[in-house]
Amino acid sequence: MPLMANTTAKSDKLAHLSACIVRVAENRDKAAFAELFDHYAPLIRAYSLAREPGADLVADDLVQEVLARVWLKAAKYNARLANLNTWIFTLARNCRIDYLRRNSRYATEIDPTDIFNEIEDEGPGPFQMVQQSRVQQNIRVGLEQLPKEQSEILTKVYLEGKSHQQTSEELKLPLGTVKSRVRLALKKLEVLVPR
Amino acid sequence: MDKSNNHPYEELLAAYSAGSLPLSQALCISAHLEHCQSCGQKLQQLNHVGSELMLQLKPSKVSDELKTRLLGMLDSLPEDLPDGESREVDSRVPRCLHQFVERNYDDLDWKRVSADIHSVELCRDSNGARVELLKIKPGGSATTHTHMGDEYTVILEGSFSDESGLYGQGDFLIRDENDQHTPVATQDRECICLAVTEGPIQFTGFLHRLLNPFIRRGYA
Repeated sequence: MPLMANTTAKSDKLAHLSACIVRVAENRDKAAFAELFDHYAPLIRAYSLAREPGADLVADDLVQEVLARVWLKAAKYNARLANLNTWIFTLARNCRIDYLRRNSRYATEIDPTDIFNEIEDEGPGPFQMVQQSRVQQNIRVGLEQLPKEQSEILTKVYLEGKSHQQTSEELKLPLGTVKSRVRLALKKLEVLVPR
Repeated sequence: MDKSNNHPYEELLAAYSAGSLPLSQALCISAHLEHCQSCGQKLQQLNHVGSELMLQLKPSKVSDELKTRLLGMLDSLPEDLPDGESREVDSRVPRCLHQFVERNYDDLDWKRVSADIHSVELCRDSNGARVELLKIKPGGSATTHTHMGDEYTVILEGSFSDESGLYGQGDFLIRDENDQHTPVATQDRECICLAVTEGPIQFTGFLHRLLNPFIRRGYA
């Protein structure tokens, strides 16, 4: 599919799913929820498996946990603050951190709940919102064009949940190189604007 | 709203967004974010990066059984926790520290470290990092010290200066093991910092060098 057509299809899909979350929030609509499930559950499952390949039970647990939160928090979702994909990503990320901690991968007393605020209660003011969708568009197109050495590192950090140190060990790269590749990638995605 | 001039590096903010940062460091980022709108905006964009990466994953088939089970559970899911906390915490305390501070900083079990400094250890991270609050009296100074590992500092109240400059509320600083520094609080008020240290602090003065093997606490 050509890039533009692909992008249009994606934003149509997103618009449809965004309508679903509103129906879930306002009418507790289970059919709309089922549509959200069908779209996001396989992605959340893949997200879990990216960190722990082969851990199917963990992946199923994460799917259930995240989608239960989607059901419970639907009314708090605010389309002005983040698009639905990004909201779901932050829910999945927060659940994964929680899960890892509860299962004592992190032997620490620190409770992540208040550290990773969910997007519902913070975010840019209305005047930045106009730029949001353009920014996301840039990020989407930019990711497709990143050199492999940079996208590989973003994948390690974001999907596999690896620290910079672990990434450097796995890819046999100096720590400084890992950090500078992250920076370069973000610059290409236009996430970094001069202060 | 943007009070701070010193921000976390972008790759650190990205690791926070990805959820791959040790929780002690994430705590510092979170405290900084409460004072920094520009990092907040950047974080939103970094979250978009994460969501786009997740969308690129090859979807993994979910069993019908799981779907049926969850749909059947929806009506009996426990209600979401209420927004507001029942306990009132001083608005000066960042939200991420509410788990350690009952009402305000005065409730904490501050230990005297020197005439100028009090500290309280909040917890340890799984990587051994020590999370503590430091309170430096107005005009007070911390002895010159270096660290074995990195030290992350966020200024919660007041301000201090060291060899590299003047820092105020919300500022986020990282000092590594090669940095020697002597923070001095400004005269007008006491300074409270959140500090995360990855390894024991090493003092560099002559006497302190002698004492070093006995001091694990730091900031004498």
